[in-house]
Amino acid sequence: MNLLEITELTLDLPNGVRLLDGISLTVAAGETVGLVGESGSGKSLTARSVLGLLPERSTAGGKVLLDGTDVITTSPSELLALRRHSASMVFQDPRAGINPMRTIGDHLTETLRLCEHLPADQAKERAIEMMASVRLPRPEAHLRQYPHEFSGGMLQRVMIAGALSSSPKLLICDEPTTALDVTTQAEIISVLTEQRKSRGMGMLFITHDLNLAASLCDRVYVMSAGRVVEQGSAREVFSDPQADYTKKLVAATPTILVGDAEAAVPAELVPLAPAEPEDASGALVVRSLSKSYAIRGKTPVRAVSEVSLEIPRGGALGIVGESGSGKSTLARLIVGLESADAGEIVIAGKERTAPPRKRQERLAHARSVQMVFQDPYLSLDPRITAGKSIEDALRLHSKLTSTASRAKVIELLDQVGLTEKHADARPRKLSGGQRQRVAIARALAIEPDLLVMDEATSALDVSVQAQVLEVVADIRRERGLTVLFITHDLAVVRRVCEETVVMKQGEIVEHGKTLELLTQPRHDYTRHLIESVPRPAWDLDEAIEEAS
Amino acid sequence: MTTATIELKTRRVPGVAGFDTSFMVSAIVLLLMTGMAIFAPIIAPYDPNQVNFMSVYQGPSISHWLGTDSLGRDILSRMMFGARTALLGPLLVVVSSTVLGILLGVLAGWRGGWVDAVLARLFDVVFSFPSLLIAIMAVALFGKGLVAPVIAMSIAYAPYVARLTRSLVASERHRPYVAAYRVQGFSGAWIALRRVLPNVAPIVGAQSTLNFGYVLAELAGLSFLGLGVQAPAADWGAMINEAQSGLVGGHFLPALVPAIAVVIVVVAVNIIGEELSDRIGGEIPS
Amino acid sequence: MALVSIRRTVWSTGGTAVAVRRVVGKLGSLLLTLFLASLLVFFSRFLVPGDPVSFLLKGRKPSPEAVADITAEFGLNLPPWQQYFNWIIGVLHGDFGRSLQFRQDVSTVIGDRLPVTFGLVIMAGIMIAVIGLISGVAASLNRNRFWDKAILTGLTVFGAIPSFVGSIVLIAVFAVQLHWFPSFGSGEGFFDTIYHLVLPSLALTIVFVVLVGKVTRSSMVEQLDREHVEVATSRGLSRGSVVRRHVFRNAIGPILTVSGPLVAGLLVASSIVEAAFGIAGIGSLLVQSVDRLDFPVVQAVVLLVVTTFVAVNAIIDILEPWIDPRSAAGAGAR
Repeated sequence: MNLLEITELTLDLPNGVRLLDGISLTVAAGETVGLVGESGSGKSLTARSVLGLLPERSTAGGKVLLDGTDVITTSPSELLALRRHSASMVFQDPRAGINPMRTIGDHLTETLRLCEHLPADQAKERAIEMMASVRLPRPEAHLRQYPHEFSGGMLQRVMIAGALSSSPKLLICDEPTTALDVTTQAEIISVLTEQRKSRGMGMLFITHDLNLAASLCDRVYVMSAGRVVEQGSAREVFSDPQADYTKKLVAATPTILVGDAEAAVPAELVPLAPAEPEDASGALVVRSLSKSYAIRGKTPVRAVSEVSLEIPRGGALGIVGESGSGKSTLARLIVGLESADAGEIVIAGKERTAPPRKRQERLAHARSVQMVFQDPYLSLDPRITAGKSIEDALRLHSKLTSTASRAKVIELLDQVGLTEKHADARPRKLSGGQRQRVAIARALAIEPDLLVMDEATSALDVSVQAQVLEVVADIRRERGLTVLFITHDLAVVRRVCEETVVMKQGEIVEHGKTLELLTQPRHDYTRHLIESVPRPAWDLDEAIEEAS
Repeated sequence: MTTATIELKTRRVPGVAGFDTSFMVSAIVLLLMTGMAIFAPIIAPYDPNQVNFMSVYQGPSISHWLGTDSLGRDILSRMMFGARTALLGPLLVVVSSTVLGILLGVLAGWRGGWVDAVLARLFDVVFSFPSLLIAIMAVALFGKGLVAPVIAMSIAYAPYVARLTRSLVASERHRPYVAAYRVQGFSGAWIALRRVLPNVAPIVGAQSTLNFGYVLAELAGLSFLGLGVQAPAADWGAMINEAQSGLVGGHFLPALVPAIAVVIVVVAVNIIGEELSDRIGGEIPS
Repeated sequence: MALVSIRRTVWSTGGTAVAVRRVVGKLGSLLLTLFLASLLVFFSRFLVPGDPVSFLLKGRKPSPEAVADITAEFGLNLPPWQQYFNWIIGVLHGDFGRSLQFRQDVSTVIGDRLPVTFGLVIMAGIMIAVIGLISGVAASLNRNRFWDKAILTGLTVFGAIPSFVGSIVLIAVFAVQLHWFPSFGSGEGFFDTIYHLVLPSLALTIVFVVLVGKVTRSSMVEQLDREHVEVATSRGLSRGSVVRRHVFRNAIGPILTVSGPLVAGLLVASSIVEAAFGIAGIGSLLVQSVDRLDFPVVQAVVLLVVTTFVAVNAIIDILEPWIDPRSAAGAGAR
């Protein structure tokens, strides 16, 4: 008998919306099963239903057999017993998932004391053991600390320790590393696999990241719009997808593997060779730029330190770094949202170091550089329609009549793959990808010399990300636009940029041609970063086979 | 934190259709009350101040629908006229405190820094005086009546509006869409007044509606204490004050009619205010 | 993430200095607010146009002796800041001047009336806390179902009954009709006083319970939606434990924040209830003094209410790290 056996699971809301539509899947003991899909595919709901965590007033149909008991029809007390002994779950965001007002010790010992009725000192001992097993540095001391004193990666270890404290047979992981940096992700994944092996648990791993699923899972289920569209061994599904949706997903997923990547990426997406520089000075020249933030009572943090870089006209430079690397501060400095402590910024031959003050300076600065922000849900004014927001930008910078600017708006929307009908939509009526296209069109309206994209695709699903990246590639081809592309994702840089800079703690640690940097990293940190990026397990197998 | 799947609640924009029945009933009640106040001289069956010792403490009848009070005055007519002071005072307070509060709140929230710090300290001081206390103090200084309390309460309520506006504006100021406007070259004043203020004002307005009920109750309370509108003028609070002595003798109607009028208006305003805040809502930062 | 430093909170060793600095800071801020409020209370008199002697003697015979008395008593011939200085020094020594209507020290007049008002406020406060918390918790746990709607409707209607309306209805029903409770006075002795204060404190409870009830509900509902609650549930904790340890515990902060101003609100609203029930407390004293143009008493009562408000808020502020550990480290609360 399988540890988990879901048959024909359906989930309906009272208003008739069907959230899950006939899901069937199994997890055996000792097996890692991936559940892959984009946002809204129902993968999280499926995972939660295993523990009976259903949305309010929804009705479930079908069977969810966990350790032989049907979760959907079982009694409340049986359900508590299942949650206590059979399965437990690691959630996506540990900062939201651990009560901020209770100590780490309380989080870890709570179920032991209240459910298993262990005496306090035994529970404490167990908690210390658990923390040691997920390699937290100082278990004794952590007991009395609060979540806000921990980094995200450490908190996720606490969450895992908590989930394992009941010795579950099945561990459900719901995007456990999505909120984390890639190097932290690698550490968390190694803790998870280690624990799964030593305990012989089954693991149901939910992720949107195909590379991660491929690196980790024995079998995968691909979900879309509440259905399972494909299943099979991870290798089969990803190297030879059958369903159209899976094919699309696999094609859209960027990878850092240079060999097969070049074969997989359509020719038009291969980065353009940088145009011959027209003059000696590039589109963007940054010289020893520094910025530090003073926090009261602490030593100032150097967010950007002695950074120098240059982009030739029409080129695309990627800046890669983890959170806290200073890459976003650098972007804000370049667009004039922050003022630098020292150094110099020159855009298309014009000095743009200081944030603009007067009207003429503001307009001139805006024509030098525009920016597309990370979160398309927040970077558009909720009250202003897409067309109006582009038109505002247009009319600030030119003396167009309203009919002329209207025509120009439609032309711009067309360039980013939107149509006239999107012009009258408010942001909330647009999808994430559409919003990001509007943001791009708005930036282009000003015809800047340089476009800064700050994590502009990281909030998007991979298929949408691929479309947006394509729009950017088209525009570069047509307009010869210079792009500074800031991201945490090496694979995305690989798709877009000829040259790449790696930042760590405010400093540039490596700078080079993207392909060289990926294949022959010189700096230890770059190497570490590249090794942390998940890749399919079978590539290693092949490598080993070839070697032997 | 770079998260690939951030689910954000998008802000709701007020829709016209779909208001529930309690909202519609409340709106109708308020309209009727307002109409009653405006047209009192035309529709009231009697002169509200006409004393008639022949018909003291009468129960409801055809000639006096809601009976008469201790001086034989028609309670219905007095209730109609009483609506005028009862509604006008709160209206003035809510409008002026909202305008003043929004101005100060935008100033504090957008400028930040020392302007914000000084205003915050000033608001703290005003907060430490409950609004009814400020009204009573105004009477102590400037004499009985509604003028001084209305001005005083406009000042007392403005910091509440200002604090809400400030926190909304301050959180709005750090949103990427504002940074986007800056990068496009728009001036700070333009962004604050043309873009942020219209985004924030409906939320503040809806919340201010809720103040109407409090102010009405407090001003009526002031008249009940004999510090606001003075007897024999018809005012709901003053009517209850006058009717108190009759309570022990079992004459409830002269006090109960204006009391019920107060409660009905406050309930109606609160239902409307809450519905508006819910709809326009958005998240109000703490 | 680099900005997140590992820092101990007030409980841990070495955090004591931080805690002391925090409390001292809060006390400083309290004193500053009180100082500014005292300026407002004192100099409000100067807003009145005209001669201060005639303002203070309004409604009384301006005989030459009375004028001389009042000038000497208030030091009206001194410069304003000197007057303030003398007044505030007096206040700090418990000397609020003399009442014009009672011909007694203001402190004596207030001292006589303080206990009954405190009794009223405490009784009302307890009822408001108990009923408000229970109704708010019950509503939140039945979110969007019948009991939630019933409780919310009840709270909205009760909240619309101003205390003077509540008073007359309670008098009409429970005193005049049913004769269960007295309608007048504050009684003699402990139990009789409590008996006399039942209806008055109920009148306050009716209108103020909505504040605690609604903030409890919304604060609970907000926590119920948090992921840490789902995590606790997923680990097999019983519903009761989850609600107690993770929902209610985290909801306390906002409830306390609303409760602080409530105490001062009750003190002021007591003026209405005391007038309605004929209780000789601070509230009715304030009204009477306004009515009889006894400005020194008005000043003193106002200052008392303001001080109570500021002090209660300061206590809640100082307690905050015990309620939300994040505030001790200065980390932004989410």
